[in-house]
Amino acid sequence: MGRYIRRRLATAVLTVFLSIILNFLLIRLAPGDPISYITGQDFPSPQLRAELTAKYGFDRSLIVQFGVYLRSLLAGDLGKSIAGNRPVTDIIAERIGPTLLLALTSAIAALLVGTSLGIYSARRPGSKFDTAMNGVSYVFDSMPPFWLGMMLSLIFASWFKLLPTSGMVDLRAGYTGFAHVLDVLRHLILPAATVVLVTFPYFFRVARTSVIQAMSDDYVVTFRAAGMKESRIFYKYVFRNAMLPTITAFGLTLAYVVAGVAVVEIVFAWPGTGSLMLNAIMQRDYPLLMGLYLVISISVAITMIVLDLVYALADPRIRYQ
Amino acid sequence: MEATAKIKRRPARGLRKRLRDAFAIGQLRVGVAFLILLILVAVFAPLIATHDPFALDNDMLLPPSAEHWLGTDGLGRDVFSMVVHGARTSLVVGVVAAVIAGIIGTLVGGIAGFYRGGLDRFLTETNNIFLMIPTFFLVLLIVAFFGSSMVNVILVLGLTGWVGNALLMRSQAVSLRERTFVKSAFAVGESRARILMKHIIPNGIYPIIANTTMNISAAILMESSLSFLGLGDPNIVSWGQIISHGRSYLTSGWWISASAGLAIVVTVFTFYLIGDGLNRLFNPKLQSTR
Amino acid sequence: MFSSAGANPKRVAAVRGVSLTVDEQESVGIVGESGSGKSTLALAILRMLPGRTAQVEGEIRFDGIDLLALPEERMAAEIRWKRLSAVFQKSMNSLSPVHKIGAQMADIYRIHEPTVSKADVKRRMIELLEMVNLPARVYNQYPHELSGGMMQRVSIAMSLMHHPRLLIMDEATTALDVITQGQILDEIMELERTLRTTRIMITHDMSVVAYACKKVAVMYAGCLVEFGDVRTVLADPQHPYTQGLLATIPSLTGEKKLVRGIPGSIPDLSEPIRGCVFAPRCAHARDICRTQAPPAVDLSAGRTAACHFAGAGGGEPGGDHDR
Repeated sequence: MGRYIRRRLATAVLTVFLSIILNFLLIRLAPGDPISYITGQDFPSPQLRAELTAKYGFDRSLIVQFGVYLRSLLAGDLGKSIAGNRPVTDIIAERIGPTLLLALTSAIAALLVGTSLGIYSARRPGSKFDTAMNGVSYVFDSMPPFWLGMMLSLIFASWFKLLPTSGMVDLRAGYTGFAHVLDVLRHLILPAATVVLVTFPYFFRVARTSVIQAMSDDYVVTFRAAGMKESRIFYKYVFRNAMLPTITAFGLTLAYVVAGVAVVEIVFAWPGTGSLMLNAIMQRDYPLLMGLYLVISISVAITMIVLDLVYALADPRIRYQ
Repeated sequence: MEATAKIKRRPARGLRKRLRDAFAIGQLRVGVAFLILLILVAVFAPLIATHDPFALDNDMLLPPSAEHWLGTDGLGRDVFSMVVHGARTSLVVGVVAAVIAGIIGTLVGGIAGFYRGGLDRFLTETNNIFLMIPTFFLVLLIVAFFGSSMVNVILVLGLTGWVGNALLMRSQAVSLRERTFVKSAFAVGESRARILMKHIIPNGIYPIIANTTMNISAAILMESSLSFLGLGDPNIVSWGQIISHGRSYLTSGWWISASAGLAIVVTVFTFYLIGDGLNRLFNPKLQSTR
Repeated sequence: MFSSAGANPKRVAAVRGVSLTVDEQESVGIVGESGSGKSTLALAILRMLPGRTAQVEGEIRFDGIDLLALPEERMAAEIRWKRLSAVFQKSMNSLSPVHKIGAQMADIYRIHEPTVSKADVKRRMIELLEMVNLPARVYNQYPHELSGGMMQRVSIAMSLMHHPRLLIMDEATTALDVITQGQILDEIMELERTLRTTRIMITHDMSVVAYACKKVAVMYAGCLVEFGDVRTVLADPQHPYTQGLLATIPSLTGEKKLVRGIPGSIPDLSEPIRGCVFAPRCAHARDICRTQAPPAVDLSAGRTAACHFAGAGGGEPGGDHDR
């Protein structure tokens, strides 16, 4: 297991490093003047230009510049947002909470829903339920998350007036304590439902395939011959074997969930890093954009390592290597 | 003395039989039918569209009617015409991006699996890295910096999507290397490059084809997200753009976003159907009882 | 009879009119090529053929009980694994890879012996492992930590758990290298003596039968074509198929002859067969062979062959044709 984890850690470190390099190179490679990307001004004053050139080392060699960049990163300096005129780190820190809330609840819900449906379907392969579910999963897979969010909002918020259209809290009501929690939850339903609907098909397919596969494994024949009850064969043995790919799948979908969450945040004006990203794009707030990208990359890499660890613990073939 | 020999290729089964096998699969029948429809719509867009998609008018936010089949948007443009023209954008971007990713992936994967060694390790590591990168944001970032023309979008999508294909081709190459017909090609003295091009790739390409159709779906979705966020080519009609515009009028003109979105769903679903059908065609053993 | 689901449901007669008697302590080897129906026979005896698609006719008498007439609950509670057991081929996956071996063995044991204490079960399972020459530590290991031969021994140990009267081994040694195979066969024969088990071995490898069985039954395309004492059948095969099979085994000693196969292939089992099932491939076939199915000719005590010309002499492997 040690070897496995070390390899995965190396990949993660490499990924983060590459993201850093990418960030570094992007403003220098893109068409135009790097300083105008940083300041947002097409014609920065000579004084500003001199100041920034000194700070970032634009007049020095690329290697030196990279060193400067790395040092500032390690110090936690991600630059200053053009639009907000505040350190990027501050802005991101404010908005990361809501995103985590939305992303985690949606991802876990999608895993539970998709996997349960997949297992249920796999135990009746070829049945009407199975065929229908397969079709349904592809239909939801075909929906752009932002569009689905808009449609759900239209139907449930505008037409049926069941749920709020946007935001995380009802600003006018100013709830506190438990009422506040409930308020947030009410606002969470539609955005989370959108992400879940778009993400569960993948878990459904993974679980279904893996259970069907596991059911035809040889040990099932052995246990049947020995007289074990079908339910015990399934819940004790097939289940544990079949769930391993789901753990892997969770790691693989992380990057997609993050993307889906971002656009959904925009549609529902959820005050997270996703909608932050939209504004940054519209305003061409490059420092903020790059800072966000870095933070997201690192978060995804860390989460994937954690999941790899979980997988390694769950599969004895890896644990005892 | 010269010795030449004709290498016996794997016998190609009759084309008619293969087509018959293919169309026995329901998904392929429906999928291909829809695909033909989509292609026709895209190709004949100017003829099918009832109005000029760019023409502004005073009849704004009209619901669907006989004159405007899908209504008009906030600037008086005919939604049906816009959706029809948007088909072109989606199909072109989707197919070209996926094909680029397919070509790069096939070549890299083929070389890695066939020659093994350093390139193989590089490929595996690259794949692991790409799985960890949130590609969506990478694409956003690059388009934001380098401009949002259609060519840029297609290039970025193609250059970030090849890794899956490469892996598939690699495992095909690794197993095909050991096949007798390849070994006899070696023995006769065919150059390695020729073997790769003539034997390995043509025989191993099937999973890539199925994967590429899935990639088309992914590319179309990605492009629609980009244009929704305002990062698409502003000069052409795109479904994501229509939805973005429609967002401002969600309650008063819901048909704007709904139509464009449904168009996306139908198109992407069609390619998923075909991809699924192709998978069943190429891997009958992997099917459950069906 | 099997019917396959799907576009063209076909009825495939996998086993046709097979009649076999196994006496106590007289191990029987069932030999045949792939598709001869031998594995189907094994699964049918255990009543493990899929209920929806398989149809079994006839009678299976085990210790005086007709297994086919037995209700499933009694089959599971009294017969399967307790008095009648099996070892299958793919040993590496015969246990779940993510659970420990000992725990699985104990789980299986408790199906028939639910009241035994945990400590006792563990003790018995370790005894079982030692019986097949495996160290006690295997109890706490995972399947991937063992070699193929060791896993096969685990499978054998599990099948002998309740000291069954009859053990069916379906291609149990096929996946092993020759040396391990020999060792396991020796151990099996020893266990057979000490536990008073009778064994049916199903294999495509005649040498395994020659080494480890007392009687041999040769199957072809679902039919039993020859049966008898191993030594007699090997020395003087009466059915042309058996003769052909033996001719395919190159000999280590003696005159070097060309290795011969049997030309042709198994007929389509979904079609009804007229006459002798082997006739299309038989070098000695005559008109009667194509029109009338040969009866099982009783050649001597316990020796049968399904050929119109059995016993008429000519144990020459290969027949009159050269090359």
